[in-house]
Amino acid sequence: MTFTIATTLDDALAAMAAGARPVAGGSDLVVAARHGKAPLPGSIVAIDRLGDLAQITGTADGVRIGALATHATLMRHPLIVDSYPGLADASALVGSPATRNVGTLGGNVMNSSPAMDTGAPLLALGASVELRSVTGTRIVPLGELWTGPGRNVAAADELCTAVLIPAPATARGTASSSAYVRLEYRRAMEIAVVGAGASITVAADGTVESIAIALTAVAPTIISVTGLDAFVGKPLDVAALAAVGAIASEQASPISDLRASDSYRRHCVGVMARRAAEAAARRAGGELIAIPVNRAFGIGAAR
Amino acid sequence: MPAATTPRFVRADGPDKVTGSGRYTADLTLTGMLAAKFRYAEIAHGRITRLDVSAARAMPGVFAVLTADDVPDVRFGPFVQDRTLFARDVVRYEGEVVAAVAAVNATVAQLAVDAIVVEYEPLPVITDLEAALAGDSLLVHDGWAGYGAGDPVVRDRNDASFSSITKGDVDAGLAEADHVVSSRYVADGCHAAPIEPRAVLAQWEGNKVTIWTSTQVPFDARAGVCETLEMPASRVRIIVPHLGGGFGGKCGFHYEAHIAALARAAKRPVRLVFSRREEFFAPDRRREGMIIDVQTGVRSDGTITARKAWIAIDNGAYTTDAGFFSQLAAMHVSGPYKIPNVHIDAHLVYTNLQPSGSVRAPTAPQACWALESHTDEVAKAVGMDPVAFRKLNAVDTGDIGPSGQTYGEIGVQRCIDEATALVDYGQALPDDEAIGVAIGWWPSFSVPSGAYLKIDGDGSAQIITGAQECGTGAVMTLRQLAADELGMNAEDFELVYQDTSVAPYDMGATGSQTLFNNGRAVVAAAGQVAEQLRSLAAEFLEAAPADIVLADGHAHVAGSPTSTVSIAELAGIAAGSELLIGHGSGTPPAAPPLAGSSCVGDLGMAAFVAPQFSCHAVRVRLDRDTGVVRVMEVGTAHDSGTIINEMGALGQVEGGVMMGIGQALTEGAQYDADGHQRNTGLLEYKLQTCADSPVIRTHFVQIVTPDAGPRGAKGLAEAPNVATAAAISNAIAKLVGQPVRQLPMTAERVWKAMQS
Repeated sequence: MTFTIATTLDDALAAMAAGARPVAGGSDLVVAARHGKAPLPGSIVAIDRLGDLAQITGTADGVRIGALATHATLMRHPLIVDSYPGLADASALVGSPATRNVGTLGGNVMNSSPAMDTGAPLLALGASVELRSVTGTRIVPLGELWTGPGRNVAAADELCTAVLIPAPATARGTASSSAYVRLEYRRAMEIAVVGAGASITVAADGTVESIAIALTAVAPTIISVTGLDAFVGKPLDVAALAAVGAIASEQASPISDLRASDSYRRHCVGVMARRAAEAAARRAGGELIAIPVNRAFGIGAAR
Repeated sequence: MPAATTPRFVRADGPDKVTGSGRYTADLTLTGMLAAKFRYAEIAHGRITRLDVSAARAMPGVFAVLTADDVPDVRFGPFVQDRTLFARDVVRYEGEVVAAVAAVNATVAQLAVDAIVVEYEPLPVITDLEAALAGDSLLVHDGWAGYGAGDPVVRDRNDASFSSITKGDVDAGLAEADHVVSSRYVADGCHAAPIEPRAVLAQWEGNKVTIWTSTQVPFDARAGVCETLEMPASRVRIIVPHLGGGFGGKCGFHYEAHIAALARAAKRPVRLVFSRREEFFAPDRRREGMIIDVQTGVRSDGTITARKAWIAIDNGAYTTDAGFFSQLAAMHVSGPYKIPNVHIDAHLVYTNLQPSGSVRAPTAPQACWALESHTDEVAKAVGMDPVAFRKLNAVDTGDIGPSGQTYGEIGVQRCIDEATALVDYGQALPDDEAIGVAIGWWPSFSVPSGAYLKIDGDGSAQIITGAQECGTGAVMTLRQLAADELGMNAEDFELVYQDTSVAPYDMGATGSQTLFNNGRAVVAAAGQVAEQLRSLAAEFLEAAPADIVLADGHAHVAGSPTSTVSIAELAGIAAGSELLIGHGSGTPPAAPPLAGSSCVGDLGMAAFVAPQFSCHAVRVRLDRDTGVVRVMEVGTAHDSGTIINEMGALGQVEGGVMMGIGQALTEGAQYDADGHQRNTGLLEYKLQTCADSPVIRTHFVQIVTPDAGPRGAKGLAEAPNVATAAAISNAIAKLVGQPVRQLPMTAERVWKAMQS
């Protein structure tokens, strides 16, 4: 086995061009190896010292989140908490404090698990990843990134260097927000049984300007809910929220496993979609709902 | 008798454990040490048609490969001798050891394990308890009738231990009832899940072996090695480094003999360190699954007239210490109630699953969950508040219990009052919240135990005890008992413990018995040294020994505080003449008599020595959309007699409650149809975490109990793990409208109950 510590991005890309796999926090790579799911790669390049890749920067187009930004950073970062709270909700639910301190957004996204927490809010927010290799850079929308459990379109020599989220709508009188909710059986060291991320823009009169929802752990990848245009121009009232939930349930194709049966997953993902949409809409309406939503209302909320 | 112990809890093992300087078994290395790996059956039931280890033995770096042919042909087991170290002819559960390898490192050892050729003729996998009890069922053990077994063990085919309790005339009692309520409850098996996976290290010197092992019961482990390798106890030494939790999972004899045999064959020290998966699926120590059918007759005024029950307990493939589970489960389904007519049958049923064995309060959380959920159903049938119903029917001082035991002063009624008050039972609650209440009981275990105590010439003292610390702090508290006897500080005592060649016998960290029995032994040993000190001080201070008071590290004459000499100075004098050495054992209290009942398969569990009682009251919140239940607040009250170390006792109760919440809601072993456990990791076997912890308030109903442990103490370590799941069940039933009849009451099961 070879293990290289990259001190520059070019070092890292060169190592990957030579066949190395990147490791940042190691919270997926190392755990999978220890559990016998996937042996450690024969050649590894550590990228955790590439400080530039940990930057979170507001841009004219939105936000650029370096791939090495940790979950612990994201859940508290003012820019994320204010403008993309759904991503903060998801980051705050990942693993334990130890996992969140080492686990990175780039690692979570590129691990491509259908149960990843950050995937649904990012997909609902219309995010893309920046993939770099020695031969160039390309931007891939998340909707085109994942191809199956643990699989994505990145080539072996491509490194995810950033996640890009477009700016929320800023038209006069409109307000946008997002939320992520998951079904969990305990409050730490948990993995989503199912989950839903929602990104919503509401007009000054409270009607929906845009709505996007993505679902966790009900298909081979994180999926977007389609057919939500019917809600545009209408208020997101109780009946509309129930309809959102019903559509999400219908579009899920869950499996039965140790964590839940397919029918229970199908039911619960509708509940999660409804709650995520409600939380996002309430946040867009100016209500302060603490991060993560899971601790604020619905499952296990304090009051 | 000295005054009550200080509330401060001095843990001698604390700094080691917190700073990481402490050594656990897996931390130990010896020169030339080899790594051990096991070849497991990996199928639940099959006849071995071919076992060929020649390729493994020939591999470079492999020092020993052992099978059943390489060890004495001994069947062992504390109740039924149905077990062998290595599978012989038939494998009966997936974690059964077929062969063991010692190699230069773990990687080579695993390669050698993989190179062992084993072929099986598959046999039908028996997992259904009721089918296994049917007369025409296939047998898990064809040769069961030829096995040795203890005299009181009643066996028949797949029933490894039958027990019954009969009192009065149960059919007449049911006939005179105004209502008869029948319920069925099913509990899945679950695990002790200690954080430290077990490890064993063995080294031979001549014909003697020293074994470092993560056991809760070093003397039991030694006895197992002696029995299976046919050696006298004098040649086997068991040492336990710091133990990383046990919860019963490390009671019993497990792998010490395998590793000792490997080390002997390899002529090198050999160390075994389990993976998390192995810790889940291999050891013969799992909390038993259970089916409970229970029927109670009740008059319209709420008085119970009769109880009839049938219990089937999943024994798994081999009978470890589960032999007494049938009688213990019968006691827990009887419950601490005044019932004139009782008949309970309990069967311990062989299956092709992992063997069951004592996990913290064996049989109790499941049986109490079933009985107390049923009790709420009975109360509902007569239109009574469940707490008032319990107050009416629970035993009190002077009452006769379901097995015919007459109680001295006991606190179960006070426990109900205190626990319900702690959560303000009866308060108005939001419509997604409810409070459930349950009561439970547990015996204290009266067994022999020993300790030495010495004070050296410089005044420093040592307690040398056979007791085992499994994290409860019971051994740590021994220092306080000794200090109080001798007028010294707890910090003055070093503990020498967990070494069978150094200390006298103790049963180990099992049966909530450490302080109860070894506490008495340490008090007796300290008492002998106190006598020596009084005699020395009397001579030094020219007073009568009876007038000497030991306090604050000094001996002084009663009434003359200035006439004083330090214990250290007395120890210096003793160092030049008769040394300060005490030894103690103490007389274990006798089992109380029973009257008016009869028990078949009596293994000593029908009479509870120094019985402990508890009430847990739990406020839960239900997410009605998903069935997810959260425990918000717990009030507990425990009658465990005198509390010697309140901080330690609170830790036991809070830990027991958290374990109970996990059993109630998120744990549970899951099996496929072929008898493979599916959730053998900590992600899929969901223990509760700190983040899930509710507010827990505890009140100790302290009754100085005669015929009990030191100062009137009873046991405590297991009692807090009895009633929590039951109380949670009763809260859920209030919110759902009916009980969830399978344990654990997972979110999906709660949700399904809401749909029906």
